[in-house]
Amino acid sequence: MTTTLPLRPLLLALALLLVPQAALARLQVAATVTPLAALARDIGGDLVQVHALSAPTQDPHFVDPRPSLILLLNKADLLLVNGVELEAGWLPPLQRTARNPAILQGARGHFDASQHVPLRDVPTAPIDRSHGDVHPGGNPHFWSDARAAARVARALAARLAQLDPPNAATYTQRADALCKRLEAFAATQKARFAALSPDRRRVVTYHASLGYLLDALGLEQVATLEPKPGVSPSPAHVSRVVAAIRERAVRALLQEEYYPRSTTQTVARLSGARLVTLPGGPDFDRGETYEAWLTRLTNGIHDALAQ
Amino acid sequence: MLTALAALAALGLSQPPPAPDPNAPVAPDDAETRALLEALAADQAATDAARPTPAPAVAPSLLDIALILDVAAAVFDGPPLQLGGHDPQRDGFTLQQLEMNLSGVVDPFFRFDANLVFAQFGVEVEEAYVTTLALPGNLQARAGQFLARFGRINPTHPHSWSFADQPLVIGKLFGAEGSRGLGAELSWLSPLPWYVELVASAQDPTGECCARSFFGADDPGLDSPADLMTTLALKQFFPLSPAWSLSWGLSAQLGPNASGPDARTDIFGSDLYLRWAPVDDPDGQSVSLTVEALLRARQVPRDSLVDGGGYAQLVWRIDRSYEVGARYELVTGVPADPLDPAWTDTRTRAALQATWYPSHFSRLRLQGALDQPGWRPDPILAAFLALEVLVGAHPAHAW
Repeated sequence: MTTTLPLRPLLLALALLLVPQAALARLQVAATVTPLAALARDIGGDLVQVHALSAPTQDPHFVDPRPSLILLLNKADLLLVNGVELEAGWLPPLQRTARNPAILQGARGHFDASQHVPLRDVPTAPIDRSHGDVHPGGNPHFWSDARAAARVARALAARLAQLDPPNAATYTQRADALCKRLEAFAATQKARFAALSPDRRRVVTYHASLGYLLDALGLEQVATLEPKPGVSPSPAHVSRVVAAIRERAVRALLQEEYYPRSTTQTVARLSGARLVTLPGGPDFDRGETYEAWLTRLTNGIHDALAQ
Repeated sequence: MLTALAALAALGLSQPPPAPDPNAPVAPDDAETRALLEALAADQAATDAARPTPAPAVAPSLLDIALILDVAAAVFDGPPLQLGGHDPQRDGFTLQQLEMNLSGVVDPFFRFDANLVFAQFGVEVEEAYVTTLALPGNLQARAGQFLARFGRINPTHPHSWSFADQPLVIGKLFGAEGSRGLGAELSWLSPLPWYVELVASAQDPTGECCARSFFGADDPGLDSPADLMTTLALKQFFPLSPAWSLSWGLSAQLGPNASGPDARTDIFGSDLYLRWAPVDDPDGQSVSLTVEALLRARQVPRDSLVDGGGYAQLVWRIDRSYEVGARYELVTGVPADPLDPAWTDTRTRAALQATWYPSHFSRLRLQGALDQPGWRPDPILAAFLALEVLVGAHPAHAW
């Protein structure tokens, strides 16, 4: 008597396991931060599968490089990075061990968003770390500016079209429509904030991370709580900021949700400025779009300044 | 440009004009000149519109260089029995190390990394290796001098440790510099839904790295591939939740020892790393538990010596600036061990540390330890104050 083993189904299951999943699915996109992930999903729609490597509640400078992220990069056709060394503290070891040359720097599957945006705060004189954690290439926090997002969206659509030529027209059409909406949004918000009286258009921020947004909205940054980028507030500096808030009648103290809050809460209490905790990025896992996040962000600031 | 040429043609400039004076003022009521300027301006505007946004200047990234200085002040109330090559070794000040890290991409196929360690009396090549970037089949290879990927702490450098000294079990089983050597490594990332990596390496079993278990200073030469020190490792990672992470590894290191012909040493180990790091905590809080255990069997003439040990450490990163940690170690000994005669009994050590990080590039660590070698009547108390600074571009560490 012979026993027939179920070899065929087993072999089929093994083969399916060993075939790279990316080959069976849509264009695989990994994005270091959720604003880029949301833009990619807005443009790619059902043609792409997008994974965010960090949460909007995480400081994008410091993300745990968990090995599970290596799996995402291993299967990615396209890696979206913010650039300007924002991810220098955690992304390189993931890229090095992902065994995916398609997403290494210089490859077609590596997209550096900062290359498509006019950058602010590019040092004009030699710098060192006595200036704090300054990014030599310029300020990397451009993703909350709809105008910058439109530039990134156009370039991203072109890259997706390169990687997936049969759907190039779809990417371009979606990006064009998105860019029109973003540019209209930027114009609308500029007018909305311009309607505020000048004394309501002054803010203090925690980190120098909102310069692009403040410029887009026509707001003045009076001071930052960090004396230098990445350096925790000192008592003397905080005292000066409190004095500046009182002197300039600053209405709002802005910080992303991933920065410490005890100092800003105290400063808000002492100075009378309203503390506004901003979402660090779209709630990508729950399907929030880039535009919905930006609307939430700007509404929060406007509400604080208008009151 | 075509518009400008048409305007020039309309001006009848096909004939050689009189030599113009470039500094002569343009008459504002000169209709022909205005037409020419308008045409040139239109062309310039069209050219500007068609030109893409200039990309920011990108500095070439050919070689990253970083220097890490570790110095410590120490006090012991007994003879220091530290095992690590970079541990505080005596009462007073110790230059633990000045590490120079060099790294860069060689070409589309290789990456280069080197760690040169400067001590007060010399320089050593701690690591110098190339890593492949584009092997097929989820494979990656390294070649050169490198730390073996045995367990969790052995492949890492002192500046990424949570304590100022090396765990005793690493020092006893591998040596003052950990397990490292010249050789080659091949690793494979499996296509399974969770992170599974298999590592295999073969290294020269001679030198300071291998004195404790393998050939060490004796160099009888290689007669066969079995005379190489072989390391095998299985590394797995489980993202239990966005906040909780668990990695679990199994390692083995096999090779010849110097006690006689065909004498072998086998070392087996397992490591577990459990980490809680909430993604929505603005203070950057985390708690990490590391447990690592090793077992060694050495063949010697007419006997087999078995010893082992391990450590467990708990580190709480309170916020971005402060951290505290506790570590407990236990390492067994073999009475009348011919290869390690000084270590005859079980030794335990408990340590506490508190660390202040002024920035991401500096830290000040205070550590106290109670060391209880079983062969001594009294324990040894020790205290360290260790300073570390980093300058330059140091590559980020793996998880």
